[in-house]
Parts: sequence; structure tokens; C-alpha cells
Amino acid sequence: MNKAILSAVLGAALLATGCSNLQSNTASIRDLNDPSVSGHVLAEQVCSMCHGVGGNSINPTFPRLAGQQPAYLVEQLKAFRSHSRSDVAGYQYMWGIARSLTDKQIDELAQYYKGQIPVPGPARNAGLVAQGKAIFLNGVEATGVPACASCHGPQGYGHDGFPRLASQHDNYILKQLSVFKHTNDRYTGMGTMMSPVAYNLSGDQAREVAAYLSSQP
Amino acid sequence: MNILNWNKNFNRLREAVSTQAPVELWRTAAQKATWQGVSIALLATVSTVASMDAAAVPLFARQTGQNCQACHAGGQFPELTPYGRMFKLTGYTLGQRTSMPVALMAVFTSTSAPTNSSPNVPGSPQVGGVGTPNNGTPTFATASLFAGGKLTDSIGMLAQYSFDNYAGDTGQSGRMFSDNTDIRYAKHIINNQTDLIFGFDANNNPGVEDVWNSSGAWGYNVVPGSAGAGPSALQPLLLSQGLGQQAVGAGAYMYWNKTLYAELSGYRTGDGVFSFLTHNYGQTYIQGTNPYVRLALTHDWGTSNAMVGYTYFDANVYEGAVGSSLVDEHRDNMVDFQYQYLLDPSVVTVEMADANEQIFYGGGGATDTINTFRAKASYTYQAHYGASLSYFNASNTANNTSFQGCADGTAGNVGQCGAEGWTPEVYFMPVQNVRIGLQYTMFSTVNGTTLNASQNNTTMLYAWTAF
Ligand code: HEC
Ligand code: HEC
Repeated sequence: MNKAILSAVLGAALLATGCSNLQSNTASIRDLNDPSVSGHVLAEQVCSMCHGVGGNSINPTFPRLAGQQPAYLVEQLKAFRSHSRSDVAGYQYMWGIARSLTDKQIDELAQYYKGQIPVPGPARNAGLVAQGKAIFLNGVEATGVPACASCHGPQGYGHDGFPRLASQHDNYILKQLSVFKHTNDRYTGMGTMMSPVAYNLSGDQAREVAAYLSSQP
Repeated sequence: MNILNWNKNFNRLREAVSTQAPVELWRTAAQKATWQGVSIALLATVSTVASMDAAAVPLFARQTGQNCQACHAGGQFPELTPYGRMFKLTGYTLGQRTSMPVALMAVFTSTSAPTNSSPNVPGSPQVGGVGTPNNGTPTFATASLFAGGKLTDSIGMLAQYSFDNYAGDTGQSGRMFSDNTDIRYAKHIINNQTDLIFGFDANNNPGVEDVWNSSGAWGYNVVPGSAGAGPSALQPLLLSQGLGQQAVGAGAYMYWNKTLYAELSGYRTGDGVFSFLTHNYGQTYIQGTNPYVRLALTHDWGTSNAMVGYTYFDANVYEGAVGSSLVDEHRDNMVDFQYQYLLDPSVVTVEMADANEQIFYGGGGATDTINTFRAKASYTYQAHYGASLSYFNASNTANNTSFQGCADGTAGNVGQCGAEGWTPEVYFMPVQNVRIGLQYTMFSTVNGTTLNASQNNTTMLYAWTAF
């Protein structure tokens, strides 16, 4: 009995070592302080644990990164690294991740996520989505909310430093709108543009536009 | 309490530290513990850690630069989040090596429980607690030093050395010993098509390698000193850590597609070259290599994740010294379930573990069984305030005369150690690495009978910190 177990364990061990030799071209490095590790490897070995492989995260605590605009992603990673983006979840989770990333790794990470295909979120209440779409495309004239589309693009795909919002988790969108509205934690770089927008948006309007965006492909 | 006072208290502590070796300090603090002492230590801790930034707290937080709640559900250490489990399964290697790969943990408790000698007689002692109930005197219960973390790109370790203030035979003289140790080598093959983690693990406590906190080591309800686990005489080996720091084991594991986890390990006596991993007293000997099998199915969806699992452990334990002719086989089967809801500001966790141990005596004769069921649900708000409710129910047979159990003639139920009850708890985490909690354990059964069970009800106030 005991010999059988020992051989099973040893067998599994040998098998696994064999696998690792076969796979030796696939780096399995999770070191965040090694500039020789490529952004691609970090994205798969580290970021995937929260943001999902390919950047389609499951839990809305973690924003989706698939298809995100590279210029925006670079800006955010640098803002985490320099601590200029200091919203609570940002410093709790991302400051440590970004602290030793090199500019080159950051560029490679941005290219990696640009190449990933976003998966739209689950369908939302049709009424909310329709209201949200109207706000996104036309803004709210009465309270001076500009059309989101004017900066984030007609389909919410973003461009350059304007982030992609389509297929983002609605809970994450709501959280960021509240960060822009109530704090200065993202009042840095291009973030200064969003504060006046969020300031005039009511809670209901924010929920509507978030429902619309999260269900967009 | 203002900052000035905090600092004053902190300075008092610092003065004390500078004149005595740390262990000596803890020892003295323990012996002289008073509410004042505990509160000074606590305040000092709070004020020190509050002034550090998030990247300066324990070992793994330093290594990853992240907040405790990235890995611990709602910040309730030691319960792990899916990310915390991945961190452990990938060998504690994520992040960057730190210049200070150590952390300290300390637990202060104040337990109030009856003290007479017979549990089923009014005013009798608590049955479940670890160590000696201290009747309301705030006491420094245990402290640990953690060392290790990321060693190479594939190898990492968590080694705990503890100072148990209750460990001595005379009750209050503590000692330092090698506690939970877990060393891993792990590879992660991941891309858009495949996701496979596989690794090897060596440890000194069956179950300490587990990432779902259902075994005794790192199990839920593990606030050191809790009464809610039931009497230790009655815990299956797997849950009681009966072989913790007695056996050493090694094995292989894999986690495929964040769906299927499988592990096979073998445990043997931790003597000879392995004795640095074990207690230097009261060695329990097991015969040959004993199998430990762990299977789990997991799923993540939306804000939730769940697990159903199975653990098997079969150990041949010598009744006496090695080579003694009597070897008892302890065969454990455990089914467990876990659910988590994680989305700021709320964290909900639900856990259940149903374990059965069969004991086959080397001397022949009737066999015995132990059954335990434990469940816990918790809610934590903003990783600061929380409440939990646990239920435990343990029972046993006492067929074989060699099953000592808890002989209690008064109650007329010799050998019955069963306990059942509930533990409601409230807790507060003023900063991410300090937890202050109040537990009340209500017994409905003690020693297999409801007779006077509630006389054993126990209140425990604790402060748990790591830095
Ligand atoms: C432990 C979990 C975790 C890991 C690992 C992690 N992140 Fe994050 N990340 C988060 C969380 C949580 C947020 C949301 C922060 C907020 O709400 O401000 C975030 C936000 C981000 C953002 C901002 C997104 C946006 O839309 O503004 C980027 C970019 C990002 N992470 C990139 C990365 C990269 C690249 C890696 C790997 C090198 C990584 N993250 C690893 C948890 C993690
Ligand atoms: C004037 C241009 C402009 C308009 C109009 C605008 N935004 Fe933005 N938005 C930005 C910029 C620029 C950022 C990136 C901020 C940064 O770099 O921190 C941003 C960021 C965001 C983010 C955070 C994304 C992330 O991944 O963290 C959300 C959510 C958002 N906008 C929603 C909206 C909504 C909803 C509207 C319409 C009600 C809107 N925006 C209108 C410029 C704009």
C-alpha cells in the first residue's frame, strides 16, 4: 500500500517535471521586479489572476482590460506607479503591482490588452439600457451633462487617452463615476476632464449609462 | 483617544523593547498581563501600523505591495479570496522579493468560562478551548514569526515559528516552536487556451497546504483560543491538527482551468532529518508513508465563487513508541463546501465541513467513529465591521475500551465527548492588520449530553494583529 502511494507521488512528480521541460519555452515567472520579463508574460502570469486571462475579468471588482485603448492603459499604469491615481481600490490593489514596472513593460502590457477580444457583459434591463444609450449619445441638456460619445466615441470604444467603456462592468463604471464626482483621487492628467461630467450626472443617470455600456459588445 | 496618547503609549512600549529581548518582553508582558498592558500593546500596535503605508504590512503584503483584503476575504485573515488561493497555489512567488521577508503575529485573548472540574456539573470548565481559560484576565495567548515568501521564480515558502504562552506543563510557561511550514514549487501554464497550475509541496501539517481553509490548519474558527471547535479529544486527525508539526509530508498538486483541483501527498513521522519541522516534545509516530488526497471543484461567476471538495487522509498511528506492536488506523473522510460573495463594500462567506473519522484499533476489537460538522457564515462591511455565526456538532462512539475520550462518570456517559453549539461573533478591523473580536460560544451538548451544557458557555474577547 505505502509503496504504491510513494510510487504514485513520485510518478506524478516525474510526469509534471517532464511537462515543465516540454513547456520550458512558456515562461512561468511572476516576478514584478525583473525588467527582463515581457509584458505578455506578466499579463498571463500575474494580471490574469484578477483581470482574467485576456482581460475579461469575472468579478466586477476588477475592471475589464480586453480591447482597452493602449494610450489610456499606459497612462493609468504610470499613474498607479507614481501614486497620482489614488482611488481606494487603486491603491489597495494596483500600487503594489505597478511599483516596479518599466516603461517598456507597460507598453507591452498595453499592446497585449489591445489585442484581446472583449466579451460583452450580461444583458441588462431594456428600459435602463435605452435611457443610458440616450444619455451616452446626447448627454443631458437640462443639467449640462455633455454627450459621453463626444469623448468616448459613438460606440464607447474610446481612442487614445479616452478609455474604452463598452463591455466594462457596470459596477466598476458606477464606482469610477463616483470617484470622479466625490473625490480628487483621479484628478490628474486627463482625469480632470471627467470630474465636471460626473459632477452633473445623477445617481439614476449613472446607473442607466452603466447598464447600457456594460451590455455593449 | 488622541494621537498624542497613542504615541506616548507607543514610546512606552519602545522603551520596554529596547531593554529586553523580544521574546522576553512577550513573556513578561504575558505574565504581568492586565487590561492596561493589553491596551497599551494594542494601542501601540494600532498607532504603529496606522502610520505605515499599505505596502508595509506583513510579509506577503510587502512582497505584492497589496492590501490584506486582496488575498483575505473582507480582510478576515486567514480566509482566502480566489486571488489569495492563486497566490498560494503558484507557490507564494508573485511579486518581488523583499529586503525584510518576515512578519510578526500576536494574539491577545480574554476568556471567561467556568472553572470547576466536571463539565456536566454546574460551574464547570469550558470543554472546547485551546489552552487554559483565563477567566477574564486579558492574556497574551500566542505570537508567531512568519518567514519566507518568494525565494525563486518557482519556489516560495511560508514558515511559522510560534510562541505559545500556554504550552508549558505548568500552564503559564510558554515556549517557542516550529509551527506551520509550507514550501512549494509551482508552474503556471496559462494562455488563451490553457490554464494549468501544477506544483510540489512539502509541509509539516496535513491540510496546511490547503487553500480553502477547511482543515484544522488555517481553518475557520481558528482565532487561537476559540471554544467553538469542540473538545480536542474528539477531533478527527485532519481537523484537530493531531499530526501538526508531528508529521512531514510531500506531494504533487494541480489546478486545471480554475475548475478542478487535485492533490496527492504522503505523510511520515517528522523525526530524524525532519525534526527541525516538528515540536521538540511529545513526538507522535506514524507508520510508513500515509496518503492524503484532496479534490475540489470550483467555479467563479459574477461576484461569487463556490467550491465543493473532498479530502481523504489515512494514517497509521503508533500507540506508543516507534515499532511498538500496536498501530491504530485513523481514516478520515471530509466533504466541504464554500461560497463567497465579494464586491466592495460587502463580503459574505459561507463554509461547511462534514468530517468522519474511523478508528481501527491495532489491538483488535470494536472500532470507533468520530463525526464532526462545522458551518460558518460571515458578513463583513467595508473590510472594517463584521459579524459571523458558527455552528459545530461533534459526536463519537466509545465502543473500544482503549478510546479514552472524556470519561465523565457524573453524567453517566463514559467516553462520550460530543459537543454541539453555536458561536456568534462580532469583529472590528480598525486598520487592515488588526482584528478585534468578541465571541460567545453557547453549548447545547457537552460530553454527549445536554445536561448542564450551557454551564460551559464561554465568552472570548481577542485582539489579533500581524505586522
Ligand atoms: C490582485 C488583483 C489585481 C492584479 C493581480 C492586477 N490588478 Fe489591475 N486592478 C485591480 C483592481 C481592483 C483595479 C480597480 C482599481 C480601481 O477601482 O480604481 C485594477 C485596475 C487596473 C487598471 C485601470 C483600469 C481602468 O479601466 O482604469 C489597469 C490598467 C490595470 N489594473 C492593469 C493591471 C495590470 C497590467 C496588471 C498586471 C501587471 C494588473 N492590473 C494586476 C486588481 C488587480
Ligand atoms: C470631455 C471628454 C469626456 C466626456 C464628455 C466624458 N468623458 Fe469619461 N473620461 C474622459 C477621460 C479623458 C477619461 C480618462 C480619465 C483618466 O485618464 O483618468 C474618462 C474616464 C471615464 C471613466 C473611467 C474609465 C475607467 O476605465 O476607469 C468612466 C466610467 C467614464 N469616463 C464615463 C463617462 C460617462 C458615463 C460620460 C458621459 C456621461 C463621460 N465619461 C463623458 C473624458 C470624457
